[in-house]
Amino acid sequence: MTAMTLEKIRMLFAQEAEQRLARLGQLALDLDPDSLHASADVIVEIFREVHTIKGSAAVSGFEGVGRYAHAVEERLGQLRSGDVKPSAPIVDALLIAIDRLGSLIAETIEAADDIADSEANQHALAQLDAAFESPTLLDASDAVSTAVALPVTADSVAPVVPVVLVLPVMPVLPGMPVLPVLPGMPGMPVLPVLPSRSAPLPKPLRVDNRQGASSMAPPSRESASTVMVPVERLDELVRMVGEAASAHLRVGRIIGEQLGLEASSVPEFGELSKVLNELQERAMRTRMVPVSTITDPLKRAVRDAARALGKNVRWEVRGDETELDRGVLHQLSDALLHLVRNAVDHGIDSAERRAAAGKPAEGTIRLHAMQLGSEVIIAVTDDGDGIDLDRLREHASRLGIDTDALTDDETMQIIFRPGFSTATSVSDISGRGVGLDAVRASVEGARGRVEVRSTKGKGSEFRIVVPITLAVLRCLLVEASGQRFALPLHRIALALADDSDTVLQVEGRRVIRLDGQPVPVCELATVLGTAPTRTGPGTLVVVNGTIGKLAFVVDALLGQRDVVVKGLSKLVPRLGVVAGASVEPDGSILLVLDPPGLLERAKGYTRRTLVDDVDIAAPTAHHGHILVVDDALTVRELQRSILERAGFAVTVACDGIEALQQLDGHVFDLVITDVEMPRMDGFGLTEQIRATPRICNLAVLMLTSRGSDSDRQRGMDAGADGYIVKDAFDEHGLIEAVDRLLGARL
Amino acid sequence: MSGSALVFPVGMDQYAIPAGLVREVVTNVRPTRLPTAPDVLIGVFNLRGEVVPMFDTAAMLGFGMLQGADVAIVVTLQAGPAGFMVGALPSIHMLGQSIGPSELRGTLGTYDSRDGIAVLLDVEQLILPHTNLTMAHSHDSVSVQ
Repeated sequence: MTAMTLEKIRMLFAQEAEQRLARLGQLALDLDPDSLHASADVIVEIFREVHTIKGSAAVSGFEGVGRYAHAVEERLGQLRSGDVKPSAPIVDALLIAIDRLGSLIAETIEAADDIADSEANQHALAQLDAAFESPTLLDASDAVSTAVALPVTADSVAPVVPVVLVLPVMPVLPGMPVLPVLPGMPGMPVLPVLPSRSAPLPKPLRVDNRQGASSMAPPSRESASTVMVPVERLDELVRMVGEAASAHLRVGRIIGEQLGLEASSVPEFGELSKVLNELQERAMRTRMVPVSTITDPLKRAVRDAARALGKNVRWEVRGDETELDRGVLHQLSDALLHLVRNAVDHGIDSAERRAAAGKPAEGTIRLHAMQLGSEVIIAVTDDGDGIDLDRLREHASRLGIDTDALTDDETMQIIFRPGFSTATSVSDISGRGVGLDAVRASVEGARGRVEVRSTKGKGSEFRIVVPITLAVLRCLLVEASGQRFALPLHRIALALADDSDTVLQVEGRRVIRLDGQPVPVCELATVLGTAPTRTGPGTLVVVNGTIGKLAFVVDALLGQRDVVVKGLSKLVPRLGVVAGASVEPDGSILLVLDPPGLLERAKGYTRRTLVDDVDIAAPTAHHGHILVVDDALTVRELQRSILERAGFAVTVACDGIEALQQLDGHVFDLVITDVEMPRMDGFGLTEQIRATPRICNLAVLMLTSRGSDSDRQRGMDAGADGYIVKDAFDEHGLIEAVDRLLGARL
Repeated sequence: MSGSALVFPVGMDQYAIPAGLVREVVTNVRPTRLPTAPDVLIGVFNLRGEVVPMFDTAAMLGFGMLQGADVAIVVTLQAGPAGFMVGALPSIHMLGQSIGPSELRGTLGTYDSRDGIAVLLDVEQLILPHTNLTMAHSHDSVSVQ
């Protein structure tokens, strides 16, 4: 087993930090007393995210980041304890502090070394202190203007200046090849930048605040007589209609088999089909909400960002009565927030430039939603400077991306690649790469796609295209070890024959080359926990994940079709690899796999397969089986790496709940758990373990970045056998602690 | 408890489930395996269009897995229906006197039964540790992440 290099740890940290920072930005906005999502849970989650970044930074050897995160965390303590109530100035200062954390992480990763505490850190912390001291002194807009008084000039020392609302920047990761622009899109006219009407304001939210933005709001064009219905009841309705539809298919099959008739030729059956189709459509409609339910927070984000950056921006909304599935819309709200903030920050050009270009002083950002067939398009347009293609190409080539063969349109999509943006590109190409991979991930999560069009000097348009509903899913059907599975088509890049010409061996892994990038190859059957039964060569299906691709070997491709997906029963424990199931016309059950879950699970297998292939002697006998529980990816993987190298079998879990599920199905010798985790923390987990007869004697080691005696005492009271402080833990210390505990038990 | 129950074998033992909880008994059932699921969860099967999870009663009791069984008792639980795979077709009869407590988790005591002694199962408790029920449910049952 290979050791995990510091470089690899830091790469993981970069990935993790990027996600957590994005989440933090979102949470900070939610903290705003005016936000629809404001609650005490938000404070707890903010605290936990900062805390987790601190812990991960410590194990990555970035002590400067750890110190700064710790300083922020300490200040947040006043919010958590309830001593200070969240207010707009606090939110503003917190956003600045989070941005500084993002810049600091980016600078640190860029330098690949710990960097000394800077004035910018102090400045951000001072803002936070000031906000805590007089949390209600300023009104939100004043606070924002005050907040920008910190150095925002482009000639600041650091390559990433602490500009308010700049999103985290990632180091360059192996890029993903550009997704082809899907057919249908190029022909569609770019939404025209219409001469603006007199500043139309978005409509007020028609939402019951008790349920938040995602609750059912009556469609605007309906009459006023509406009834509030719990969402669960609507979900149930949709589910049952889906069941009726699949029963209907079975009846059709029986008519064919038993009566020898073509079902569609039976008028009664045809009538039933028609009614069911209509019923299905109406039922799905009930779950739809208009886009207007999410435009208010967007308006606010535009306003805040504009004020903070001293820009004059008008916000326009068109087609906000367009409806789509509440689940889809909910999933998109973060991405849209990201896009509008980016549009203000990097899209709208400075007053001087606008004047020079003869544009109106006031910039315009427009959100335009419309339905097109079974898809909804939401476009965010700005009339800023646009993206400079030449500079984009230049930058891409510096990163080793070959753009010669790409059309202009294709080149433009490079900005969605993970890690495309670097510190320098923030100023070079109007910073368009910042966080856009996160936008893409979020849109893909709603089974959609995002594209960008831009004309130099005229502006940019980001276009999100999503299906109206998630209930029917286009899938590729494959076979692996004798079982059929459905893979959602929107996650599939391509399929190709698995032969010796395509598959290479690199660093002990089977890989294929796609657009110049190595993509690991893995047996689908192995990832699903069975042995492959195929004798001949299979077919490779390349699946897109959030941060990369993976090629799965399957026995055969069985075609593609629409699948009515049902969630699995609540009695089924969470299985990362299964997204749902569908009842087939022949009565059998088709499982729909979850590509991100598959990729996550496959991580551990790509190299392991190699060991079997080249017939290397089995690794040293395991000393024992350890369950590592930590919500921080970096810490989790570091521990896994250290422990596996020492010969232990390791299973990982992200929080206490997941750990309990693992503990239920498997036998472990030791649990190593973090303290601060979502859903169930380390104390709760330890107490649960001690209260469960079957595992009550299991050794528990607590690993945390907190060194305080009260926490240590609480851990011991909960029943932990040992305690390691994360900041101080190294390979030797961890193994020693584990050996000590296991030696005593085994 | 005294009342009618379905009594069935699991290994050498007899177990019972109160008849009131039983939705139906299915035979010749071949569940679809769920990848990466724990041993107690055999898979899911189609019960007239509904996708129902199937649990291995022997494995839940801690006796290892049932081999070659194809008879299941479908029980209606609070969170929905679940199949309990058992060793052979159950018989239905009145349980007699309680003759003492039982030790295994998810059981409610031992009772006189026509063919000897049967251990009464507490189906909710028996299944609970093997489910997802400790966590909050997502409202959106069809969403695929």
